[in-house]
Amino acid sequence: MLTSVQVPESAEEARAALQDGAVPLGGGTHLMARAADRADGDLRLVSLRKAGLGGIDVEGDTVTLGAATTLAEIEDDDRLGHLAGCVRSIASPPVRGLATVAGNLFVPQPYGDLAVALLALDAELDVLGADGARSESLERVIEDGLRPGDLVTRVRFTATDAFRFYKASRRRLNSASIVTVAARIVVRDGLVEDVRLALGGVARRVVRAAGAERVLRGAPLNAEVVARAAEAAAIDPFDDAYASAWYRARVFPVHLRRALLGA
Amino acid sequence: MPSRIVTLRVNGAERELIAKPSTTLLSALRESFGLMGAKRGCAQGGCGACTVLLDGRPVVSCLIPVVTVEGSTVRTVEGLADGDRLTDVQEAFVDHFATQCGFCTPGMIMSATALLDRNPNPTREDVNEAICGNVCRCTGYEPIVTAVLAAAERRRAAEGATELTEAEV
Repeated sequence: MLTSVQVPESAEEARAALQDGAVPLGGGTHLMARAADRADGDLRLVSLRKAGLGGIDVEGDTVTLGAATTLAEIEDDDRLGHLAGCVRSIASPPVRGLATVAGNLFVPQPYGDLAVALLALDAELDVLGADGARSESLERVIEDGLRPGDLVTRVRFTATDAFRFYKASRRRLNSASIVTVAARIVVRDGLVEDVRLALGGVARRVVRAAGAERVLRGAPLNAEVVARAAEAAAIDPFDDAYASAWYRARVFPVHLRRALLGA
Repeated sequence: MPSRIVTLRVNGAERELIAKPSTTLLSALRESFGLMGAKRGCAQGGCGACTVLLDGRPVVSCLIPVVTVEGSTVRTVEGLADGDRLTDVQEAFVDHFATQCGFCTPGMIMSATALLDRNPNPTREDVNEAICGNVCRCTGYEPIVTAVLAAAERRRAAEGATELTEAEV
């Protein structure tokens, strides 16, 4: 049951409020939707809406998103056209008007498509903890989580033309991921010079496909190589209302090929 | 945690309510202010029946603890018509039989209004995308999409006529 909602007016105040199990509330599109399901114990929330954590800053190629920036704000920002396809694949306009950047990093799969994109872009997080501010890679936070009471304040990444995003879902609009592929891939003289590959929908959390990256790196970008890369990706799919684990595993190579080769 | 007083600007008027932590914007609108337009459908943000404009943007009001939006501006379907004069979107819904049982209609109209406020010249695809979070089990969506496109056309024609009048003056 939802027993308290604090609305702090600064990041420091918000961090200080994250005590005794209180959790940060971004847009509430995940937490609030499940608040009624929690018959056990309290749900205590710390809303980030007024904590000064919104805003989008673009300086050269460096993009900084405030943790409480909404997906709708990203969608509307012409400077972030490279993320538009990703963001518009997530839920619906009235949900994107609430859902936040940092919230998307912590929702369970098959949600969290922006997190997949940000992992491919090797995003860095500004984290405010009990011992002050620090920087963490999103990759590490996805693997190990944050310490209790830590608050993500900003997400930073380098925008690049090498970014690709592809999401397969049951319906074209407003449907969670069956397979999501995000990649930063540079091809030179027909060979993959550099690649960073992140996947959604195919494991309980967002994953970096390091095995697939090793197959791709230095190889020609063609169907045979991408098929081998798919085999090398460590996926651990699950059943849910959108698709079975079997189906996800079966179609993953197809969607990886479509994501990287467009065919 | 004690209840607290929350002030909102709803359909142009300052409104106050006493809210518990668990009071959502939707329940504030319906139960404290008696505005029954926004509907409680799934209460999970999935059906869009509770869609209202919060500071000009469409949002699902069922997922918002109202204490977090103190001081915000809210527009509901009740705030659209001017007396008996419907907005172009509302008129178009009537003209194109875009409503049957009516449960989704207020949310649909708010999503469509938000679309036309930002994009006066939407394609059919833009309309599909704008209403993709609003579930309708009656119409099959086609009359709704047609109505939104017709409203856009009507608005463009009206604005064209205004520009013409101004140019003539």
